[in-house]
Amino acid sequence: MDMILYDWTPDVRCYAVRLGLSLMGVEYRTEAVDMDLPGTRRLPVFATGRCPPVLEHGGLRLSRPANILHFIARRPDVARAWLDPACEWVILDWLDFGGGALDALAASRGGALGTTMPVVPATGALEVMLRRMEDHMSARALEGHDWFAAPAASIADVVLFVVFALSADVGVERDTCPALRRWARRMRALPGFAVMPGVPDYA
Amino acid sequence: MHRWHPVSVLSDIHRGEVAGVRIGGHEIVLWREDSATSTLHAWEDRCPHRGMRLSFGFVRGDGLGCLYHGWQFGAGARCKLIPAHPQVRAPASIHVGAYGVREWAGLAWVSLDAAADFAPQAAQGVDGVQPVRSVHVHAGIAPLRQAIGMDDDTPVLWTGRVGLAVHEPVAGQAMLHVVRAEGDGAPSAPFLSHWAARLRDAVECGGDTAAVMEELA
Repeated sequence: MDMILYDWTPDVRCYAVRLGLSLMGVEYRTEAVDMDLPGTRRLPVFATGRCPPVLEHGGLRLSRPANILHFIARRPDVARAWLDPACEWVILDWLDFGGGALDALAASRGGALGTTMPVVPATGALEVMLRRMEDHMSARALEGHDWFAAPAASIADVVLFVVFALSADVGVERDTCPALRRWARRMRALPGFAVMPGVPDYA
Repeated sequence: MHRWHPVSVLSDIHRGEVAGVRIGGHEIVLWREDSATSTLHAWEDRCPHRGMRLSFGFVRGDGLGCLYHGWQFGAGARCKLIPAHPQVRAPASIHVGAYGVREWAGLAWVSLDAAADFAPQAAQGVDGVQPVRSVHVHAGIAPLRQAIGMDDDTPVLWTGRVGLAVHEPVAGQAMLHVVRAEGDGAPSAPFLSHWAARLRDAVECGGDTAAVMEELA
């Protein structure tokens, strides 16, 4: 059955979904959405304040990026490691944290880049979240682990990667997060990694 | 006097990796060759072509490539490849500013004036040092130095088997670098990682740093 992603290319939440679908090797069709158009000229799906990403599949319509990745990771044709049953609750905990951080980034980045008169974005909340991530990954590295919540990369890593990689767009310094830098490099080297403006795949 | 700044623990800059670091507002790219020698370099974080930060770039063998147009820089910080003009031998005038860099006591040290003499080494010899963690502190370097009881001239302050070093990326911010000397009674690396975060939090909110330092005793 056809899976459709309503996708707005420059949006951070859409990138998180595209990256997850690509890494998990799921086939889907893209419907490009331009949220810069006035409401009357958008697709009917987005006429009423709804925002991309929206994933449509079998009569189901999902719009929260973390939830979409969770839904995909439960498909039988996707490798179990993305939602490793042995670490499921820890993965879901970090996935939820990542979803919140992604919203914080999207709000801050929208104000900084998506306007005619850019404003200096509020980054305080984002910096606090990145610090928690850095503390966690620093400890994980010293315990011999490469990923946030499981022995292999999980859907939590996908969402958190987007937060870290695109936080540079709102001026958050990342040279203060060495553990996250090394983890992000591993992410970029994964098979199926997808790029985004500002996120190269050069490792 | 030439000054050497500890900018990173060595465990954060493995073979083939690139990192952006700062010293007093100067942006520096720290990178390690993906070659047999794994040589560490510290250069000005700016491509001479279009000014792009080289720390966004990538290591290819013994060279560092810029993310913008792929210009590659190698020995002597000289440009060795311009992908758009592969047949052109880049003139020696196309080069990056290079800084002095040393590896010592589990840390990467950089001197902005490319000093030949490496002063910290003369201060004390330490063997079997393992890097633990570099932690960013949102407070000036003075309160951090005060909290750990370190004067301006000490390169690494040893408290038992735990070594502490600091540097100032920009005014009002600091990095705390933690290393440990292996042996009996040395706190574990995971413990020290959490400990460093506790010290950071205490320094930032003006908390009881003495109590945190006591934990090392």
